[in-house]
Amino acid sequence: MIIDNQTISSNPPNSLPIAPDQKSAFNFGIGLLGLFLWNLFFLNGPAMKKVWGALLNTVLISGLTVVLTLLLALAAAFSLHLLEVTGRQKGRFILLFALNLIRSVPQIIGVLLGYALLSFLITNGVVGNGIMAFVIMACSLSLFIFLEVTDLLLDRIAHFRKSDFYNALRVCGLSESRVVGFNILWNNSRIHILNKLLSVFGMALFLQCSTDFILSVGLSRDAEVTSLPLSLGGLLAHIDSKQDILAMGYTLTHPLYLPHLFLQHLQGLSAAFLIVFTLYSLYKIGNGFSERHRL
Amino acid sequence: MKRKLLEHLFSAMVVTGVLLFFLFFFQYRSQQAMAHNMEPIRPFINLPASDFNDPFYRALFMETLDLYYPGQTDRNQVIAKQLFRYKEAELSSQLQSVQKEKGLTLKRIYQIIGMYMGFLSVFAATLALTWYGVQSLALWRFIRRKQRLSQPPNKAVDPKKKGLNRLGVMGRFLASLILFSPAYTLAYSLRTEFDTGSFIFMVTLGVLSNGLLINYTNKFYAFLMSESRKGYVETALAKNLHSDYNWGAPGNMTRAAVFGLKKRFPGHVLDAIMRNARLQYLPTIKEQASFLITGLIIIEMALNIHAHLCYELLQQLLYRNMSEVMFMVLLIYYTVKLTEVAADIAHTRKMQQYDN
Repeated sequence: MIIDNQTISSNPPNSLPIAPDQKSAFNFGIGLLGLFLWNLFFLNGPAMKKVWGALLNTVLISGLTVVLTLLLALAAAFSLHLLEVTGRQKGRFILLFALNLIRSVPQIIGVLLGYALLSFLITNGVVGNGIMAFVIMACSLSLFIFLEVTDLLLDRIAHFRKSDFYNALRVCGLSESRVVGFNILWNNSRIHILNKLLSVFGMALFLQCSTDFILSVGLSRDAEVTSLPLSLGGLLAHIDSKQDILAMGYTLTHPLYLPHLFLQHLQGLSAAFLIVFTLYSLYKIGNGFSERHRL
Repeated sequence: MKRKLLEHLFSAMVVTGVLLFFLFFFQYRSQQAMAHNMEPIRPFINLPASDFNDPFYRALFMETLDLYYPGQTDRNQVIAKQLFRYKEAELSSQLQSVQKEKGLTLKRIYQIIGMYMGFLSVFAATLALTWYGVQSLALWRFIRRKQRLSQPPNKAVDPKKKGLNRLGVMGRFLASLILFSPAYTLAYSLRTEFDTGSFIFMVTLGVLSNGLLINYTNKFYAFLMSESRKGYVETALAKNLHSDYNWGAPGNMTRAAVFGLKKRFPGHVLDAIMRNARLQYLPTIKEQASFLITGLIIIEMALNIHAHLCYELLQQLLYRNMSEVMFMVLLIYYTVKLTEVAADIAHTRKMQQYDN
């Protein structure tokens, strides 16, 4: 394990050195546990079920998005690379063109259109609000995120193609896909990919919550948002949660109201805190991870 | 560069073609649907002294229809229902000042372009501020790290300072939570205290929320770090360039230089690191602009800020006024595309400057 100078110097002597990403992950766990216990004591049962159920849905969809993103990115990077080495420039140009088109669409617009399609499918009874809804939501999210991972994979492939070992392996008779898939991406890039997937998870969570919030506020007419799996963003858009958030603004001008926030406005506050704290922790974990591995 | 520009142009043409096709398709379909729905009720729309909100007039109209078209009760009832619905929709449309499923008119195009200009001004101001903020904060973080590394380890800390440090950690944690907050969380909590539709509020929220500033600061910081590990830094040090990162050190190592617009450190190795990191940062502006637009769309849609482009986009999606939706999406697409072209031109120019 590589630990940089700063980490070592910030730890007192004789204490166990803990890597910054592990420390952030530990803090994240402690934060979640603390909130769970606080909710257990001060939040009513149905609201607590809603908050933690929404967190579970959000994490599941984001996790599924990460998996789909990786698959899409691998497919795109492999295709581009193989088209290049086999000299099929037209095919490569068309694929690059299609990828650049997706890149030029702001992610939220793409995701919103995907969700609009999902509402349409639910309204017409083509899909239910179970696993298929999860998969379609994850698909629409991953379609507008996977390019970041594709870029990373292409960068790594381009970097290693310049080195001698690429040619040496090819001369030894290894296939192109074996060299790229195993030697370059698995053996020499999996830490980079893992680091990127952490940020993809954060991005998926952010986009999902934002889209759900927007949809819950006003877009969905035919398919009520309650028919979509409830996420933290959707929960935050509920009228009772919104009032909780408005109470935070009220506290700015009436500081004495602060204690009431943690007892009377817990549903909205918990949902908002879970979104923000998760994003913050993912950022810290990702940062620590890249610091530890000197990425 | 020519190839890249051609690629952008081709991509813009394809997207314009596809979106215009859908725009005209939806426009045609909505006009057809309207004509089809209007046909049976057209003779009755402008009846004098007919207030269809009044049950008396409703009953009178139905009886009159039965008198004029006897034996067609079912047809008459359908026509009456359609007419009442049309009148209700017309009234609510007047009240809300929105057009429901009427398609794209010239007047609407002007209105949308007006809103787009507003959106563009918020976008430009936010992008400029984040460009400045990202570089300043990353540079500050980089220098502070270098300063910490140059200090002797395990220095005894004054207990008073320890307390202040803890406060600083808490403050940084709270500031980070704000920077990572999605815009709607921040904006809803401030909604009653500020005018959320104002230009300044939108720009501030665009810069500070959604993790935009902190994520790209982190990216720029990573560029600075990777540049500082490269071989040319050693060469620069061998050539006697300054490498002291403490405040007041030679090479204009001051806070004013860090937060200034030009950020010049003549004679200091940081100057070269900074310029090379900036060169790498230029292409990421494309990604940043796209993410910024995502953030601005979230802000306008989530806060329901009336007479703003993205709120209007949400409304027209709600009313299934797809021709207007296509037009607005096209405008947003052009914004991203133009930013991409500008970033590519700037990057190529810089590269040419260094190549020569």
